[in-house]
Amino acid sequence: MSYLTGKHFRLLAFSLLILILASCEPLVTQFEELEDSIMYSSKNIKAPPTTVDTVTVMTWNIRFGAGRVPWFGDSCGDRVMLTENEVLSSLEGIVTKLNQVKPDILLLQEIDVESKRSGYIDQVQWLLDHSYFNYAAYAPVWKAQWIPSDGLGRMNMGNAILSRWQIKEAVRIQLPLRGDQDGLTKYFYLRRNILKTKIALPGMDNFYAVNVHTSAFSMDDTKQKHIDMFTAELDKISANGGLFIAGGDLNTLPPGASFTNYCPDELCPGEKPEDQEGCDYSLETTWLNQLYGTYTPAIVLNKYLSDEEKYFTHTPDWTGFWDRKLDYLFTNHKWLSGSDSTHQETTDLSDHSPVSVKWEVPK
Amino acid sequence: MKNTILTITIIITVLLPLITLSAGESNESTRGLWSQGTAHLLPKGRIEVGLFQPLRYGWSENLEFATHPLLNFLMPNLGAKWSHKPVAGFFISTRHSFYYPTPLLRVVSREGIGGMISPEFNIPHMISLYNEILFSKQITPNFLFTGKAGFAFALKSGNLDSRSTIDLPLIFPRLAIFYNGYGFRFGGDLKGKLFKRWFFLVDADLFYVPDENEGFAFEHKGLILWTKSARFQITVGYKLSYAEYPFGTQWHLLLPIFDFQWAWQLK
Repeated sequence: MSYLTGKHFRLLAFSLLILILASCEPLVTQFEELEDSIMYSSKNIKAPPTTVDTVTVMTWNIRFGAGRVPWFGDSCGDRVMLTENEVLSSLEGIVTKLNQVKPDILLLQEIDVESKRSGYIDQVQWLLDHSYFNYAAYAPVWKAQWIPSDGLGRMNMGNAILSRWQIKEAVRIQLPLRGDQDGLTKYFYLRRNILKTKIALPGMDNFYAVNVHTSAFSMDDTKQKHIDMFTAELDKISANGGLFIAGGDLNTLPPGASFTNYCPDELCPGEKPEDQEGCDYSLETTWLNQLYGTYTPAIVLNKYLSDEEKYFTHTPDWTGFWDRKLDYLFTNHKWLSGSDSTHQETTDLSDHSPVSVKWEVPK
Repeated sequence: MKNTILTITIIITVLLPLITLSAGESNESTRGLWSQGTAHLLPKGRIEVGLFQPLRYGWSENLEFATHPLLNFLMPNLGAKWSHKPVAGFFISTRHSFYYPTPLLRVVSREGIGGMISPEFNIPHMISLYNEILFSKQITPNFLFTGKAGFAFALKSGNLDSRSTIDLPLIFPRLAIFYNGYGFRFGGDLKGKLFKRWFFLVDADLFYVPDENEGFAFEHKGLILWTKSARFQITVGYKLSYAEYPFGTQWHLLLPIFDFQWAWQLK
């Protein structure tokens, strides 16, 4: 009898090894403390300005192109899967707003690049190809082949920085995971990060744009750790002589905010008060003190406190108006006085409004 | 990429058997009594069942029935396999299967953990009918080749939203016909004897659903089988999948896969 020979076995083993090596992708992507981010460029590169006096900067949590759809995860809604038309309509609205404000550098949070919930549209590439931006860096926050809950399925959401000028360096800095979740939930949950980029601004070789989206629903000190790490990263840039614009969705209120507990008004039908997360900021009132004390905010604290409603940027109520400020921009240099805008007219485009401001380029 | 997959499939299903091709009669020493995946039928009165394989029953010398017993609670299913006259030395049979996946899909269409389909979608009543021809030939005393070609179609009572797909390997290609209405499947198995009670099985399957952007899938399986006796068998191996999904294409290696199979002979 002639069975398989050693040669056949070696061929079989080698083939199997090739197959294994060719298909290793984890169910949920986990990250190193420091990783290169993913670089994008527009299909059509548009010539950026070669001399600039000011740089317009904007931060915007675009809610993965969901507009104000009552999504199940953040607004007492029952929707999970958006239609392609809903996402494209929302992205077109975002581009219209960008064309009006014309930011040169855009910090985006909650942008999807390959998620089932948003029709698998690569929103970073789409925005590049449908706007005047040329380059982008992307850092995944939530990347999984499959999220086994509510039909979410495949997920790839993260932070991005879009720029008219080339992005020379881009790193993804891992933030601590939530400390108040069980192991299984934590495995499938978000892995928040700081996206730090070095941008080739004309005449400058030490200019950085830094984007962050801190923890929204943690009930322990995870969010504080995120804010502290963000501040520490900015400190490093400053210590090395760099200049930065930095910001994002910090998910906490400015120091001195007059209203801090939104929980009673945000109880979803059937939800128990003890299950609510991310609506009571009462214990966080000092968490931004260091940022405000060290760096220059786009909207200084006195200005904000004199008319809080004018600067609100968020509401989870998909039928309501902005009721709190969570989105910020800071620099270690100078903003052009009076150039800040909180674009509250964008109520149909996201559950966050964008904030923009002009940064003075050093002479 | 499709060309690469087609080439691999052809190598596994056609060329490999040809390399060792020599005329031979059906040889029970290779397939043993365990005829899963071949054109051969169970002997009359024999029952086989596995943890993950269907329960099969030899009703007569030329008819057997199969069903996944546990799945029946959530996905009623039944199949029948008939043997036909040999052609050109090939043993021929046809297999006809019925599946009603609606209850299962409704169970996994739910809020919270375990939700594989968003609860916002309505899952209509759906059935699929799968018809397949199998042809097996003993190409050497130690190799049994089986080719397969099948056609499946689905009927449903209402619209099934295209966003309700489960974009996972093995599942997505098998549910694709409920979105398109019909599809084809081709494949080949090669079973061989290693030594004594040890066998191997390699197979390749192509799924094709016309008019769908995500209509192509390829699966390949490699198994080592240890046949303790005519009544108990253990299989262990791997499964490789390549498929088009709504997000693009992806390879998956599922490793290890295993099964325990038992058999009885009714008098």
